[in-house]
Amino acid sequence: MRLRRAWLVAERDLRGERAQPDGLAAAVGLTAILVFVESLLVGPATAAATPAVACGLLWIALTLGAILAITRSFDRELEDDALESVLTLPGGADALYLGKVLAATLLLTLVSLAGTALTVLLLDLEVSLPGHLGLVTLGGALAIPPTVTLYVAISLRLRARALVVPLLAVPALVPQLIAASAGAAAAITGDAGGSFAWCALLVATALVSAIAGLTIGPAAIE
Amino acid sequence: MITTYPRAIRGTRTLPYLAGASVLVGAIASFMALVWAPADAVQGDVQRIMYVHVPAAWLAYLAFVVVFLASVAWLWGHSPLADAVAVASAEIGVMFTGLAIVLGSIWAKPTWGVWWTWEPRLVTTAVMFSMYAGYLLLRSLSSDFERRATRAAVVGAIAVLNVPIVHLSVTWMNALHQLPSVLRPGPPALDGRMYATLLVAVAAFTLLYASLLVARVGIERRRRSDAGRSEG
Repeated sequence: MRLRRAWLVAERDLRGERAQPDGLAAAVGLTAILVFVESLLVGPATAAATPAVACGLLWIALTLGAILAITRSFDRELEDDALESVLTLPGGADALYLGKVLAATLLLTLVSLAGTALTVLLLDLEVSLPGHLGLVTLGGALAIPPTVTLYVAISLRLRARALVVPLLAVPALVPQLIAASAGAAAAITGDAGGSFAWCALLVATALVSAIAGLTIGPAAIE
Repeated sequence: MITTYPRAIRGTRTLPYLAGASVLVGAIASFMALVWAPADAVQGDVQRIMYVHVPAAWLAYLAFVVVFLASVAWLWGHSPLADAVAVASAEIGVMFTGLAIVLGSIWAKPTWGVWWTWEPRLVTTAVMFSMYAGYLLLRSLSSDFERRATRAAVVGAIAVLNVPIVHLSVTWMNALHQLPSVLRPGPPALDGRMYATLLVAVAAFTLLYASLLVARVGIERRRRSDAGRSEG
């Protein structure tokens, strides 16, 4: 029942994004600008010698994009006065958290695939294992939303939310950022085992943070 | 409002005893650390920083575990005392984590040749410091007591995961930082007099923590009752 409610929340979120894709546009726009500037600063020679630098910068850009998209998704709920009606249902806070995570994962998958493709293109990277790179990108898109959604939900209706969310979420995302960056670099250099191992870590962090978020996060949603 | 704080502190009966004991044990620990304990055979006198660095790090662990317990207590029963303990302990924990990082850095320069290095223990400690600094920032941005306490409790309950990560980071990863000397399986990997000095220093710091905690909880409760009176 709660899963069904969570899916309804996610579906409504995605439908809202399709009608007015401001969250997706903001996330894609910010990621694209950051990737462009970072590529300009790093340059193809440095990126070819140390792909971990380019991958690290890409995943920092994607994290900031995810924070924007998820914050926008909750803002839409507040603007529509829809939050209260979801929260009054039994298990409403759980469904809201899980639904937001599901929707954000789908959106971030699109943003991270676009960001990765743009990085490869701008830095003229030779990817040895494109399939593995895709897998790591999906792993990263799975691992980041549970933590960001939790901190956005905690900071709901808080003044200076734009300040608090990155300050709380980014330190908590250090393992995910390391795994996504190192996994992508491993895929670029042709280390299949390494990229699989980092991808497994991404899935593990996604599970742990989603369970932690579901256990304790709904208590803070108001 | 500031004038009410000292009265709040004086009102806590146990505080003078705790503060007195921490000063006394601190003086004994200082004598042991500076005079009685031998200098390290390899590092020389610079190793004596361990007698403040390790207790500061231990106190940070203790403070953040107390934040976790108080946060769970708040989420369970919404007791204002639990919230007061959580904020008090978090502030002390952040202060002592910062102190441990600075002292470690001072020790690292003559020993490792650098003030900072990208080593698992240092990085995980810095991440823990920033997460609890974020916890305090989160608290400072809301004036609604119930909401602030609930938000902070959720963060306080999650951030405790940093404590085992920091402690075990040196065993999980290839680390430059030395492995645990006391909190490890088997006997302590320390000279007897060094070990005794370290234990007394840890006791002094723990008493200091207890004193600061009692004082800060007194301040928090006083603030809360003042706020309740002005609202009423």
